[in-house]
Amino acid sequence: MLTIGIDVGGTFTDLAGIDEAGRTSIAKAASTPHDPSDGVLEGLSLLAQGLGLDLPGLLAATSRIVHGTTVATNALLEGKGARVGMLTTEGHRDIIEMREGLKPERYNLRLPPSPALVPRGLRIGVRERLRADGSVEIALDPASLDAALDLLAADGVQGVAICFLHAWRNPAHEQLAAAAARARLPGVFVTTSSDVLPQIKEYERFSTTVANALVGPIVQTYLGRLETRLAAAGYAGPLFIMLSHGGVATVAEAGLLAAGTALSGPAGGVAALTALARQGAGAYLVGFDMGGTSTDIALIRAGAAFLSSARGVGEARIALPSLDITTLGAGGGSIAHLGADGMLHVGPRSAGAAPGPACYGTDGSEPTVTDANLALGYLDPANFLGGRRHLDVGAAQAALHRLGTTLGLNPVETAAGIHRLVNARMADGIRVATVRRGIDPRRFALLGFGGAAGLHATAVAAALGMRRVVVPVQAAVLSAWGMLNTDLRVELVRSLSQSGAPDIAQAADAVQAMQAEGNARLRWFDGELRSAITADMRYGEQVSDIQVAVDPAWLTAPDGAERLAAAFHDRHAALYTYALPDRMPVLVNIRVTVTGGMPPVPATSNLPTPAPVGRRNVYLGDWQEVAVHRLDALDRPITGPALIESETTTILLRTGDVARPDPRGWLGIDLPD
Amino acid sequence: MSDPVTISVLQNRLNAVAEEMGEAMLHTSYSQILNSSRDFSIGIVDAACRLVAQADHIPIHVGALPWAVRAVADAFASPAAGDVYLLNDPYAGGSHLPDLTAFVPVFAGGRLVFWSMVRAHQSDIGGATMGGYNPGATEIWQEGVRVPPIRITDNGVIRDDLVRMLAANVRHPADFRGDLAAMIGAARLGERRMLEALAEFGAETVLAAVDAMLDGAERHARAIVATWAEGTWTGEARLDDDGHGTQDVTVRATVTVADSNVTVDLSASDPQVKGFINSSHANMQSAVAMAFAYLLDPEVARNAGAFRPLTVIAREGTVVWAREGAPVTMCTSHCADEIVEAIIVALANACPERAMGGWGRRLRVAIEGTDPRTQRRFIWHMFHARPGGGASANGDGWPNAGEWHTVGGLKFGSIEVAEARFPLHFEHHEFNPGSGGAGRHRGGDGGAMWLRVEAPATANTAGDGLRYGARGMLGGADGKVHRYTLHRPDGSERPLGSKEVGIDVPDGSRLHILAGGGGGWGRR
Repeated sequence: MLTIGIDVGGTFTDLAGIDEAGRTSIAKAASTPHDPSDGVLEGLSLLAQGLGLDLPGLLAATSRIVHGTTVATNALLEGKGARVGMLTTEGHRDIIEMREGLKPERYNLRLPPSPALVPRGLRIGVRERLRADGSVEIALDPASLDAALDLLAADGVQGVAICFLHAWRNPAHEQLAAAAARARLPGVFVTTSSDVLPQIKEYERFSTTVANALVGPIVQTYLGRLETRLAAAGYAGPLFIMLSHGGVATVAEAGLLAAGTALSGPAGGVAALTALARQGAGAYLVGFDMGGTSTDIALIRAGAAFLSSARGVGEARIALPSLDITTLGAGGGSIAHLGADGMLHVGPRSAGAAPGPACYGTDGSEPTVTDANLALGYLDPANFLGGRRHLDVGAAQAALHRLGTTLGLNPVETAAGIHRLVNARMADGIRVATVRRGIDPRRFALLGFGGAAGLHATAVAAALGMRRVVVPVQAAVLSAWGMLNTDLRVELVRSLSQSGAPDIAQAADAVQAMQAEGNARLRWFDGELRSAITADMRYGEQVSDIQVAVDPAWLTAPDGAERLAAAFHDRHAALYTYALPDRMPVLVNIRVTVTGGMPPVPATSNLPTPAPVGRRNVYLGDWQEVAVHRLDALDRPITGPALIESETTTILLRTGDVARPDPRGWLGIDLPD
Repeated sequence: MSDPVTISVLQNRLNAVAEEMGEAMLHTSYSQILNSSRDFSIGIVDAACRLVAQADHIPIHVGALPWAVRAVADAFASPAAGDVYLLNDPYAGGSHLPDLTAFVPVFAGGRLVFWSMVRAHQSDIGGATMGGYNPGATEIWQEGVRVPPIRITDNGVIRDDLVRMLAANVRHPADFRGDLAAMIGAARLGERRMLEALAEFGAETVLAAVDAMLDGAERHARAIVATWAEGTWTGEARLDDDGHGTQDVTVRATVTVADSNVTVDLSASDPQVKGFINSSHANMQSAVAMAFAYLLDPEVARNAGAFRPLTVIAREGTVVWAREGAPVTMCTSHCADEIVEAIIVALANACPERAMGGWGRRLRVAIEGTDPRTQRRFIWHMFHARPGGGASANGDGWPNAGEWHTVGGLKFGSIEVAEARFPLHFEHHEFNPGSGGAGRHRGGDGGAMWLRVEAPATANTAGDGLRYGARGMLGGADGKVHRYTLHRPDGSERPLGSKEVGIDVPDGSRLHILAGGGGGWGRR
């Protein structure tokens, strides 16, 4: 039987299938944004073809499909969510548009405000009010609720977000309003803030709930159609959806918490990092996913990915736990240009697919990072994307010449300068991203994937003082492969009283309720369920919380509060160099993660056919001829300078770098001292 | 001479160092005003007191940093590696007392080459009123503890006696010490990163690259100014009063654009006043630089080079540059905002597509009392119901986004958290529709709030904008003025002034805030 991972990206739909013997097959189809399920079905047919099967034959032999989707992300980025009405506490309907008083781009005073997620006319105050302790100040007024629902019915909204102040503490008013909305507006997607994110701080909770309503109807429609089409094509197994936190859920769960799929695609990449860490590639990794327009950075510490709850997608703030990914605004397609300051800049503009880099020979006339890499001999003009696109060296050199003239540099110096500058920017970006999380990158390995990473990874690692680079052989479809290495997961959270010493009894009750809820939501699962508890804590007036792992025994121990506090002091000192042990920290939120382990997929065992080895002139301070190896044919260590190519990526080894193929599915590169 | 690629690489590196220092500050500082509202700034300044790199935090801090370095450099002839300096004195390079600055010198081969600095607004700095803003002050000694340039290290070790002396003069010594540790830690992190860059590239290369970066920013700024009309224009902006009987305090800017140079002459501004709206010298310089930066492109590197086209003329003894001894605490908002607005009004003639409508006025309220639920003293600073931002040629203004000196950079806290921690009940907190000035593009609306105080309390106010609102530009209308009213439970109503202390707020009183909006842009 096969398990299949499907990652729908902006350009390509990637598929990875693994059989019981660990044989991996991959397929790539063009993505079909108008209906992504077309691309998925096309990809499955290609995957079937590669295995000598037809589509029904493939699906009949498939026991599990895991799917990452960008439907929610695209709807939010393009402002094309469903039409949503918001029911909120009377007197507070502008919270999502006030954005806590913040505006982006400090020195751009001529930046006009972006439209609110829900227009003011559809944000409707309902007469009700709770107090901070959850008690009722003003009871929910049915007449006011009916009037609000009349307005939404007349408008024909597709989704309703119900967001009342203090509902995290007492969901009763939201539940009453939701029941009335479902009765009055059948078929409309109704979601409440106490369901989506029962956590204090109204801006995050409301914005997340509104985002859920904006994408819920769209995600439900899409997943429903995909499920139907797969069933019609002969698939009888389960379909799981990749969530932003790196776990998977059923279609029904993912539809209800649609905002939780906002990072579905990139989450597959991070899942792959975690899987590679588990398989021995290193427990401390910096994921370096360098694409065409941007580069994603993710961190693995002690084998585990970081979660964050401060994610912005388009105009929406989504505070659900999601994998902590930092995006840097430069990639292979970034354009190098002379700024008005007379200095060389790379990005933030990108040539994208159109006009594309100058060497594509389409319409691009400005040099990009890819043009520089071509002119330096790092890329093979005849073998880009497996030979599917021929690169025009002359066009790249002409573009570099035009830019170089303004800088007083020849085209090769210009290309080397662009390559060096983009490496420096990546290193600076990674340094800030790691420091922000209290990490020194030098003891980490840099794990490069994405089309452009191989040419830059060793130089970026060297600039950061890192000694090791890892490039997985599945780099081409790494996210899809990563999706096969995930578990079912439910992430739950409850806020606790916001002052005074930790109330362990209150925390224990919340944990018990959350464990019951998590187990109930995964009741259908026949494997073993595990749960883990973490606490968000801070010193009195601090605002950023620190997550502390909680031993369940503390919840019943007489000195539980002290043991929790001690764990917090230790963590604070580890992160920020000091602790205040004479102060009792505040327990802000308590979280429960319930996971159901999915059957592990075996490590990749097959290697495609070897290809011939050649030599090429490359520029590394001066021109030299270096050996070119095929990544999938390597069977012994290679010492740089050298190039290692596969169909989708090229890896540059600098002088003294030693690359060793690992049978578990990656290339380990050690940098010289 | 550095090659152009190395210059770009180093420019990125210096910006990353500043950003990293800011992150360290955000994560380690203790006070809410620093870690949540982010009222701090980072700068790398060279040995010639030129701003080299900064992180985008609070605009009004940044142009003032070089003046603070100059004061330290003047006071100490031979700084040594490991030294840490402090300063807040507005009459010795500082802006106002709450903004305390830590400096760490960076050496290359025994030569002082850079200063790594962190400026942070302290939640309290001593003085007659909690939180630093004392509208009753008529001299600086009533505003808090004054720190001229001092070295707080002895052979690289922090002198605990000096720290204790400072902490003894503020209301929350433990928080103060935590924040100070965070500031020094961030400044030392900057030192370490700059030393790494100096070792990696060599000092001569780094210093040559700095010259080239400054020249580049100057070229960029001049290319923009060269597109402006040449001529001389005047602009005015007015404050309601100084809180001590002087009304219509006016800042006057005469601005000349000629040959990609801009000269701002503030000499015709009103004489200094009795109350705390006077500006210190460094703050005035910073306000002028801020106005200029707002009219350039956001992409211009904000280093000393970008400000080379700018010449500032002012007269000591005026409200924009008070003589030693006058109170100045309000000045980072007022009269800084009026300095900015007067300059932009004048330059709207030179570059109308760049000039934006006025941003709102700051009018703060602090409420103190005892929480009946916990019997603990509390003090709450209002950051909600902000004024609106100004409109521009590109579109309407941002609603509820703040004032000229913060421009959407200061966050207000969660209502749910505030109600859980303070005896306060937010009955209403929405936009104040129609408060932004009309025009081809509308000014952003301010906020509207009804706040019930559920404890016997007293309140202070500090700010301006009850009589003069944010200025409309190029035919756009002014934003509405603020209106703050106290409704007492006995049914009586009382308008709040902008500079009051000790207002009696009986249990159950309701504060009604109607914040003004931003100025409109262009005739409708």
